[in-house]
Amino acid sequence: MHMKEFKIKWGMVIDIDKCTGCGACMVACQVENNIAPMTKKDPYNYVQALTKDRDDADNKLRTLTWMNVYELSNGKSFPEHEVAYLPRPCMQCGNPACVPVCPVVATDKNEEGGIVSQIYPRCIGCRYCMAACPYHARYFNWWDPLWPEGMDKQLSPAVSPRPRGVVEKCNFCHTRYAKAKDQARENGEDPMNLAEGAYVPACAEICPSGAITFGDLNNPEHKVHELAKSPHAFRLLEKLGLHPQVYYMSKREWVRKQGDNYNAGDKH
Amino acid sequence: MGFDRRTFIQLSVGGTVGILFTPVLWKALDDVSIWTQNWPWIPRLKYGALEDQPAVSKLCDSGCAVKVRKVAGSAFGTEGNEDSPLSKGGICPICANAVQVMRNPNRVKGPMKKVGEAFEPITWEDAKSMVADKLAAAKGKVAFISGDQTGTANEVFSGFLAGIGSEDYLQMPCDMQAASRAYNGVMGGTGQVAYDLENSDFVLLAGADAMESWGPTVANQKAFAATHPTGEKPTAIYMLASPVQTRTASVVDAWIPVPEEGMATFLLGVAYHLIRAGKYAGAADFGSFRSMIMDAYAPGKVEAAIGVKGADTAALAKQLLAASDPIVVPGGTSVATATAAFAVNMLLGSLRKVSEFPKVIQSAMSTSERMSKDLLTWVNKGAAPAVAMVYEANPAYSLPDDFKAGFVVSFATEWDETAAKADLVLPNAFTFERFDDMQNPYGIGKQTYSVGVPVCRPTLDVMASTDFILDVAASMGINLGFDSFAEVIAAKAEAVGADFDEASGGQYEGSYSSARASVLGASVLSRAAAPVRGNGAVVLAPYSQLIVGSQNVATTPNAPCVISTNVLKGGTLVAMMCSATAKKIGVSDESKIKLSGGNGEAAALVKINEGVLPGAVAVPLGLGHTVGDEFSKGVGDNVYKILTVRSEAATGATVWTGSTVNVAKM
Ligand code: SF4
Ligand code: SF4
Repeated sequence: MHMKEFKIKWGMVIDIDKCTGCGACMVACQVENNIAPMTKKDPYNYVQALTKDRDDADNKLRTLTWMNVYELSNGKSFPEHEVAYLPRPCMQCGNPACVPVCPVVATDKNEEGGIVSQIYPRCIGCRYCMAACPYHARYFNWWDPLWPEGMDKQLSPAVSPRPRGVVEKCNFCHTRYAKAKDQARENGEDPMNLAEGAYVPACAEICPSGAITFGDLNNPEHKVHELAKSPHAFRLLEKLGLHPQVYYMSKREWVRKQGDNYNAGDKH
Repeated sequence: MGFDRRTFIQLSVGGTVGILFTPVLWKALDDVSIWTQNWPWIPRLKYGALEDQPAVSKLCDSGCAVKVRKVAGSAFGTEGNEDSPLSKGGICPICANAVQVMRNPNRVKGPMKKVGEAFEPITWEDAKSMVADKLAAAKGKVAFISGDQTGTANEVFSGFLAGIGSEDYLQMPCDMQAASRAYNGVMGGTGQVAYDLENSDFVLLAGADAMESWGPTVANQKAFAATHPTGEKPTAIYMLASPVQTRTASVVDAWIPVPEEGMATFLLGVAYHLIRAGKYAGAADFGSFRSMIMDAYAPGKVEAAIGVKGADTAALAKQLLAASDPIVVPGGTSVATATAAFAVNMLLGSLRKVSEFPKVIQSAMSTSERMSKDLLTWVNKGAAPAVAMVYEANPAYSLPDDFKAGFVVSFATEWDETAAKADLVLPNAFTFERFDDMQNPYGIGKQTYSVGVPVCRPTLDVMASTDFILDVAASMGINLGFDSFAEVIAAKAEAVGADFDEASGGQYEGSYSSARASVLGASVLSRAAAPVRGNGAVVLAPYSQLIVGSQNVATTPNAPCVISTNVLKGGTLVAMMCSATAKKIGVSDESKIKLSGGNGEAAALVKINEGVLPGAVAVPLGLGHTVGDEFSKGVGDNVYKILTVRSEAATGATVWTGSTVNVAKM
């Protein structure tokens, strides 16, 4: 399969040995990207209003978590048991499985930086892309985004709320990228050569454990460039050949094995 | 985990190979939702100038130094404050959602008084005279319950309480209290014990879930991050001793399964090896401490009492001895555990403290004085004050036992169980709408002070409770020396030496000093350290996660989707246990059970988790609210109500370690 090459390739190296699973990144992502809290009632969905309340917030298939932290277990019994947490944003694959299946080109990978886009007004909600993404990084708006009274008084200016029927996903906080480039232009700097830290997504910025390192994988001056080559680095389901721009690191072998468990063929 | 071959096959079936070339300017398109998707009920974005304002967010126990993000002058989120010595740019999951909490329709919208069973609005002026009258009539039979561990607000309230002739200033039970009572009480020290995680090369977390819910979690995570640079060799070893593999356990170098009620015994078992290796502490009772340890805490005895092998405590002691800057960090409300941990730190020469900042209200209590009274002991002795005032706390929800008072004043910002029970609800301004500060959050390694100024204009009829009390004090002729809390804060910042300005707040960072305790607490430990357990079928191992909430703050609006299904599933709380325990009590994964103990029952779903000590059941605190918004009310059950409260021998501290419950299948 032909893979587009980019001069700039934004990526993450997530150190699983540092993530405590606290969830701050998930909350920060929801606030940044205007993901509405899961309210029970939807007064505008007339049919639904007649039938039942909206899904429970703990129905993980019906709620939106662009950033989702998975719990891993080494599968051993007490006291040999070990646990680890794996934060999963969109992998921004070099060779995305979702892009070619979209019948209306609502998702694409063609902008410098290599972020897989999602154009909400184009999305017709067929959800082919969701079926295609092996990382379950895409979410369908089963419900309209509704904030409890007053809570929508001021939303994040980063991105418009998406209506029911649209697929959405992590875009590495794309507005922050645009802003960083504008800032660079204003400062007379090269927007195509941003310094480390000029563009940081919300999740990486808030993480108290410093588990998420973000930068341009192609830029030797960015930390991720070297980190991605560490002997402890790996990518999820590497063998699928989707070339994710998100790397993980762990010194624990069992964690690395589970990250690429498509050979083993079983869920954990 | 959901990555498997089946999803791969879905991909090959659904995927068409090839690349579609459509150069789209999707950034520009993002906000052009002008077509069918643009329903009127979907909120539109408002644009304007962006700004960040430094503030303190006092939602979590230790508080987060944040920046409030605004667009066109209106707040929409929080981000970390890189300049803060406390949070260094990180935020906890509660404070990450702070603006949404501020805008929650569950906020108390104005002062309310109870008439019959319902509430009716009252003016602030009437509320002031009502409180003044009630207090005058109470003749000193007044109690103040505070859940604020760090604020100078406590000086206003405790100074005022002294003015009306009461000493019943009661702090909500917390780890800080246990540490203060151990160090300042049992051991005869002065100050607040400090844990310099940043510069320690060996950290033993003895029940302290430091990366999730203990102390200043963000500062702890930052210290962990600094000593574990990504892609480089770590400069410190972290170990966790606890009954459950909490989230902290996922990143530490080793987890040592130790029952909560056995933590003091475990630590004294470690002390045994340290003393055998020749360690000494310059304390008056070192001789009796040593003989107690040699007699009662030899490896065989420790193993018999708590199941931890002598070889394990020996290996741990060896690592502590080899480290150049080791530290032991106790968790929980047991004064015995804190004393044992501090004794071990003294043997290692690593017990440190920070001094309290000077008071600005002279009649107020110092921090250690505030921490000295035990709320539940006071409740269970049958205290029935004529008036009880509750600030930044929700005792009706989070105390295992009920408290009684003739007239309850709640300063709640949001409706909660205590407010619903109160006679008068006087909404405190939200943390971003008032002056507030954080002095030495318990757990930090150095003196730190952060002060925040109001950065959001209140949209509801609220008032800073500090200002309310200053006004009431003035009307009752009690002179606290200040007319407004803004003045108190300015004076405090000056006394501390912080660089403070009225527009952006300020901060101060000092240092620690080595702690001096006169005794190791041998006489107390000899009676208090042995594990005490109830008679129920399984021991409860309650744990907290900030994403679920805290003692005081219920689950925040964006948190429900983020809470793990190992904590809450289908609206029912999850009880985790290892397969050995499940087998013993005859349950399996997904079994529906009822846990009964303490003053109540809780329904739960069983989840097998091999990271739980055999015989124990791990359950989350913070669920099961009966008052609140749709994100917390009626979600799961309240574990505080199934805890069994007991008074710890010799220390008199209220503890619930070793609480047991009986299990029935549903
Ligand atoms: S904020 Fe950081 S530590 Fe917390 S869950 Fe996310 S990646 Fe993990
Ligand atoms: S990069 Fe931005 S959109 Fe993606 S998970 Fe992180 S916060 Fe969410």
